[in-house]
Amino acid sequence: MGGNIAFLGYGLAAIGPGIGIGLIFAAYINGVARQPEARGMLQTIAFTGMALTEALAILGLVFAFVFRSA
Amino acid sequence: MSTTLVAAAGSLRGAVPTESFETPGTKDFWWPLIGSDTNSFTFTRPALIWILSCILICWFFLSATKNLQLVPSKRQWLTEQAYGFVRNTMGQDIIGSKNFKPFIPLLLSLFTVILLNNIAGVIPFVQYPTTGRIAFPIVLTAIVYVVYHVTAVRHKGGFGKYLGSLTPPGLPGWLKPIMFVLEFLTYFVIRPLTLALRLFGNMMAGHLMLLVFILGGEYLLLHGDNPFINVSGAFSFLFAILMMFFELLIEFLQAFIFTLLTAIYLADAVSDSH
Amino acid sequence: MLSIVKASGGEVGWPEKLPLLPQPGEMIAGLIFFAIVYWLMKTKIVPRMEQMYAERTAAIEGGMEQAEQAQKEAEQAKSQYEAQLADARAEAARIREDARSQGAQIIAEMRDQAGAESDRIIDSAHKQTEAERQQAQVELRGHVGRLSTDLAGKIVGESLEDETRQRGIVERFLADLEAGDVKPQKVGSADEGA
Repeated sequence: MGGNIAFLGYGLAAIGPGIGIGLIFAAYINGVARQPEARGMLQTIAFTGMALTEALAILGLVFAFVFRSA
Repeated sequence: MSTTLVAAAGSLRGAVPTESFETPGTKDFWWPLIGSDTNSFTFTRPALIWILSCILICWFFLSATKNLQLVPSKRQWLTEQAYGFVRNTMGQDIIGSKNFKPFIPLLLSLFTVILLNNIAGVIPFVQYPTTGRIAFPIVLTAIVYVVYHVTAVRHKGGFGKYLGSLTPPGLPGWLKPIMFVLEFLTYFVIRPLTLALRLFGNMMAGHLMLLVFILGGEYLLLHGDNPFINVSGAFSFLFAILMMFFELLIEFLQAFIFTLLTAIYLADAVSDSH
Repeated sequence: MLSIVKASGGEVGWPEKLPLLPQPGEMIAGLIFFAIVYWLMKTKIVPRMEQMYAERTAAIEGGMEQAEQAQKEAEQAKSQYEAQLADARAEAARIREDARSQGAQIIAEMRDQAGAESDRIIDSAHKQTEAERQQAQVELRGHVGRLSTDLAGKIVGESLEDETRQRGIVERFLADLEAGDVKPQKVGSADEGA
């Protein structure tokens, strides 16, 4: 079984953003449950936050590819 | 559906299944149509899909808006929903009702092109997310990058003023250089980098995952040497089908997020304060 | 695939450069066709949609204007009706007020009239009484004169025929009586005086 340690690193790097996205959507669901009329505004904010958090995981993936060849 | 998946995935690899299992990798995204592997200007399948999707979008919108009625027909209603979504949710609400009009064409073309090319990843017989090739996200990001910087320079009255507006007013003097470096990096490096890589990474990783499940399932099902392995291959196929619906969601979401972030950057550029 | 790379002279091919290096051919195709889509959106589709939006907004606003006008008319009618109602009410109040004041006036007039009438009646009764009193006085004076002269004539035995003299005596006596000059006298002494 072959593989590359870089992807193990990516796996570890994805933990943080995973928790972060979980927190963001937990807060979003909370907010919508408390104030359903604020849904539209919260949705935009939640997805923006998700995009920012997800960027970290994507950077991890990219760096995994970069360091694979090194 | 599974058989077409296998056929498409098999042809994607450009080879019939071999005896020893070869892990699907990023190599599988290379699919030349005209030209060699080393030529930089080889005409590839994703380029063809991109061109076809652009033509499809042009045709759809042109024919749908040929004679617009005040009371919409079914097709016009669909077009209006898409248009209104981009115009109101991303344009008006985020950029602001004062400045959003000139950016509608950009946002609309970004959203439709990205959406269609993402969804190409799950359309039977196409099954190739074009945006999973980094060339296309880079092109789109470059356009957005140029547009939002030019807009900001024009709106704030000169490049120097634009750089000055990067740091929020009212900061203590010693903090200003640090903030400036951070903001400069954010605006000029991190934003375009994450914008391009997010789209590319999501599409490529999602498609790679589908490839792993489908090719792995195929290998387990056909080449497994005991019934248990064959059954798990079948489950792998089922899971792949499930993941395709998940991918559909991700594809829509990524098109939405790309356009949304573009709108947010543009809103930043046209805002009067920082 | 490795064999293909090796066949083309050991050069690293695109499959190995993936996924992070963009292929120029794809970039050019992407740029050109995105530009076409953008140009079409900008020149054709968005203006058409915006025009349709504007027309629809105008149509909806027109409808709203019409509704507003109808509402305005209804309000006008309502205010008119209310004004009429208020007028009628005011008029009724005025009529009632008039009637009340008129009634009061009538009562006052009647009272005045009755008072005048009663005054008049009382007055005339007074006058009549006075007249009767005068008449009775005059009559009594005549009777008293004749009686007293008759009586005196009978006592004296001499007829006091002479009318003029008689009258003068009586008159003088009554005047003395009224002036209080006459003193009660006995008949005898009167004889002596006469």
